Amino acid sequence: MMTKVTLRNLAAHKVRLLLTGVAVLLGVAFVAGTLMFTDTMGKQFDDLFSSVGKNVAVDVRAKKIGGSDDDGMNAMPIPASLVDTLKTVEGVKDPEGQVGGYAAVVGRDGKVVGGGGPPQMGVNWTGDDGSFKLASGRAPSGPGEVLIDTDTAKKAHFAIGDTVKIVLSGPPRTARITGLIDTGNLMGATVTGFDTATAQRLLLKPGYFSEIQMQSSGPSEAVLRDRVAAKLPDGLEAITGTKMRDENKSDVEAVMGFFRTFLLAFALIAVFVGAFIIFNTFTMLVAQRTRELALLRAIGAGRGQVTRAVIGEAVAVGFVGSTLGLAAGAGLATLLQAMNGGGSLVLSARTVIVSYLVGVIVTVVSAYFPARRAAKIPPVAAMRDDVAMPQRSLRIRLSLGGVLTVLGAVLIGLGLGGAASGTANAVLVGAGAFAVFIGVTMLAPLISIPVVKVLGWPFARVMRVPGRLAQQNALRNPRRTAATAAALMIGLALITTVNVLGASIRASVNAQIDEQLGADYIVSSSGNGVDAEAAQRIAQVPGVRSIARAYSGDAVIAGKKVGYSSGDMPALGRASKLEMVSGSEDPGKDGVLLDEDTAKARGVALGGTLPVTFADGKTVPLRLVGIYKKNDLMGSRFVAAAEHLAHTPQPVIGMVAVDTGGAKAPRQGIENAVKANPALKVQDQTDLKDEVSKGIDGVVAIISILLALSVIIAAVGVINTIALSVIERTREIGLLRAIGMGRRQLRRMIRAESIVIAVFGALLGMAIGLAFGASLQQAMSDDGLGVLSIPYGTLVVYLVVAAVIGVLAALWPAWRAGRMDVLKAISTD
Amino acid sequence: MTYSAPSTADAQPAPGAGDFAASAEHVSKGYGRDDARVVALDDVTVGIPRGRFTAVMGPSGSGKSTLMHCMAGLDAVDSGVVRIGGTELTRLKDKQLTRLRRDKIGFIFQAFNLVPTLTALENITLPMGIAGRKPDQEWLDRVIDTVGLRPRLKHRPSELSGGQQQRVACARALASRPDIIFADEPTGNLDSRSGAEVLGFLRSSVREMGQTIVMVTHDPSAAAYADDVLFLSDGRIVDTMREPTAERVLERMKGFDLPGGTAR
Repeated sequence: MMTKVTLRNLAAHKVRLLLTGVAVLLGVAFVAGTLMFTDTMGKQFDDLFSSVGKNVAVDVRAKKIGGSDDDGMNAMPIPASLVDTLKTVEGVKDPEGQVGGYAAVVGRDGKVVGGGGPPQMGVNWTGDDGSFKLASGRAPSGPGEVLIDTDTAKKAHFAIGDTVKIVLSGPPRTARITGLIDTGNLMGATVTGFDTATAQRLLLKPGYFSEIQMQSSGPSEAVLRDRVAAKLPDGLEAITGTKMRDENKSDVEAVMGFFRTFLLAFALIAVFVGAFIIFNTFTMLVAQRTRELALLRAIGAGRGQVTRAVIGEAVAVGFVGSTLGLAAGAGLATLLQAMNGGGSLVLSARTVIVSYLVGVIVTVVSAYFPARRAAKIPPVAAMRDDVAMPQRSLRIRLSLGGVLTVLGAVLIGLGLGGAASGTANAVLVGAGAFAVFIGVTMLAPLISIPVVKVLGWPFARVMRVPGRLAQQNALRNPRRTAATAAALMIGLALITTVNVLGASIRASVNAQIDEQLGADYIVSSSGNGVDAEAAQRIAQVPGVRSIARAYSGDAVIAGKKVGYSSGDMPALGRASKLEMVSGSEDPGKDGVLLDEDTAKARGVALGGTLPVTFADGKTVPLRLVGIYKKNDLMGSRFVAAAEHLAHTPQPVIGMVAVDTGGAKAPRQGIENAVKANPALKVQDQTDLKDEVSKGIDGVVAIISILLALSVIIAAVGVINTIALSVIERTREIGLLRAIGMGRRQLRRMIRAESIVIAVFGALLGMAIGLAFGASLQQAMSDDGLGVLSIPYGTLVVYLVVAAVIGVLAALWPAWRAGRMDVLKAISTD
Repeated sequence: MTYSAPSTADAQPAPGAGDFAASAEHVSKGYGRDDARVVALDDVTVGIPRGRFTAVMGPSGSGKSTLMHCMAGLDAVDSGVVRIGGTELTRLKDKQLTRLRRDKIGFIFQAFNLVPTLTALENITLPMGIAGRKPDQEWLDRVIDTVGLRPRLKHRPSELSGGQQQRVACARALASRPDIIFADEPTGNLDSRSGAEVLGFLRSSVREMGQTIVMVTHDPSAAAYADDVLFLSDGRIVDTMREPTAERVLERMKGFDLPGGTAR
């Protein structure tokens, strides 16, 4: 019988439940879409990397130095003579030396093709293998010939026989295209092939390989690996082909895993916001049905039955919402996949299960409290005319809210302070933010009263009676106003946090550039470093006083892999406004400089030695010749250039700092000096700041778009609340219409209420966002985020957006209210 | 507005229209369709005299509420003409009807008369507030003193008794000095003492302030407060009575319940 009641109620409240369903749908769609899209991409990468090197039985490579870290340090190249040695090992078939490095094609428009994420690879062409095939033409031979991949050729409109410019770590060169490589789907990566000798010279070091791969003539991979390993000199290792392929895959999986977690975090925020909407709708539905539920109780339904009847509705809404959400998610993933090059979608059982679990559980949990309240309705309520739900005092709720907010703040503080390690800190901050949101939501009814009074004031002034009524209506049920506003609060809090962080990063970087950049121009590369010849030419430009080449590298110090900088001293010191605490800023041939904190932590005094293991595996004791003040451009350690160059197989000039004594005139000359290499760019301080700003704006925009979905769900919540309020106040609206309120006045009244609620939510969110943003900035003030900057203009824009959301959310309910038949409204039971 | 026939109110008031605050001519109204059709008003012609207290009586389903709704511009008629003062309601669009209700008509309903978020005073001045007009303070004071609500003006409806709530509703109806007040079972939800208070107040507002009031009721003792009583049965006006008493009304009611037979 109670099932029938549940079913009838579902049918009777279709429209009211529809909006709840939409909240579930959007959240689940985000979750399902993320899972499907990342699964699909993951499978594509998987397929790709299983085919790369699928014939390889054993791979010989340099040992990673500095622990098992995958992204290790620059690997030492392998002497070519080793190939002949390996040929003598029993079972080894066709050992092939591989050369890999940076090479990119310059298009007809003078711009480098590809880049900005996917790698631009240069390789030695050794004939077709598992993944790369010669699509047309012939293999290159000699320094003047090159292969490019078919995608690049198509994008840049090159054909066999054309001459192209190739950008390398060294000076760029031109070569004639002799053939095109079919690489399959490389997701934007570009491939350039040379003959082996040329590749060694251009990409690595003559007479050396990056890796040696071989097939097996019989023995298993493991057996062959052990045989090969026995022949290897120190510093090299042999791994099975399977391990190599697995490593490739796990690299991709790690990236995909991060990407998935990143998107899922936003999906969960959307689901969390949806929970508020569901909670609110069920609370209102129960309140509106007080009499009916009391009647059920009066005629003998138990509390449990009433609770179950309401929960049953929630299950149905959750199930339908999840089903539609799954479908919408599939649509979303298909769309993303289409933009990503197409391919069929991967729909795993896990996606389906997770979607239904998320949808149904969130709905049921959100509806649980309203359902319990429904069960508490006394049967006598059915007999009373003027029934009101027993409103529990706000006191318990407020104290609980206060405790949760404080607890959340403490958790965030602990997380930011680094009380736990790594991921646990992030979890602490996340849990803290969650607690703050719930806590503030519980406090929100109290906050709403003064704020709504203030927000409603202008409406009451301008629109008089309808405005006053709108203000009063928003104040009427502070819990409902608060819960509706809270949904909007979450999205806006996070958007505000991101904006405050973005603005603070920008301001901090600008301050850093102002305070610490002594150079007039910086020349850097979008590819793989500034070539030495270009650096030479810049130095000779009239008006250039000095240039400083900057390098960076990794080394192992005291068993830990760390980064260091290196370059021309003292010019680089001037370019970074280096301030010495003691000693000299010139490290000489074999010296090292440390910043204050690092020196103290190491416990090394001036003149002491520091054993440094370089990328080539050699350990050199370096003398500490100087200690400098913390410098963001220089980093914590500076190693003498001579040492860095001696121990780095393919040294790369990260950037060239140019000193012109403040003169602007030499810029044209510097531009001309680097014109031959399109990957190079010349920037003054303003350009650098612009570039940083652009990058930050991009990130802020992407995160804001991902958060926008939770704002949309919150907007659905506002529609829901306003629509349900209109239904609830049918009689009152009828009365107002009967005594002469016009349709337009009525619509204005409803719109004003909606705007007040939306703006209240936005203000709450912004207040929290500002607090979050400021705490994050404080926590990272020593890590280059020294300046707190609040983007007031942007925040005002978001406030206006919130008001617009209020207007839009009221459209449909106001239209409905206006259409209401006056007579029916006043005679409704 | 655009069309005006010779007999139309605005141009040439119908003979005797000046004597009536509201009138209905050959008004018919039904609900439902075909077999399920119920005739609520069957060719009713009636005039409500100015400055008098008129009660509309009849058994359930006699059409008395429908008549009131149609005359007050809350419901549309199927045929016939309804006038308030000189204005023909049956020609007006929603916007004009709304304005007419706001400016010329007062309402008192059986229940849910007040906006719960507003104080008693705010509820009383609500129609003027909606119109954006300032209430006539002198008149307002007189109305408030007459209903005896001065100490309760700052209270919300939930803090008032049922009788007090209805008196606030009466004050609201009177405050904007409408041409006519329609009251739909105004004492239906009240105990007899509170009911008598409200009815006495309505009668005195007619006697002392010259207000015109139409009240729908099925309670003979309530009808006894009126100057005239109209009896409705099966959608027709079957009788009228001047200077009624509760006993006479009750007698009359008993009378036409028998032969009609179709009363539901």
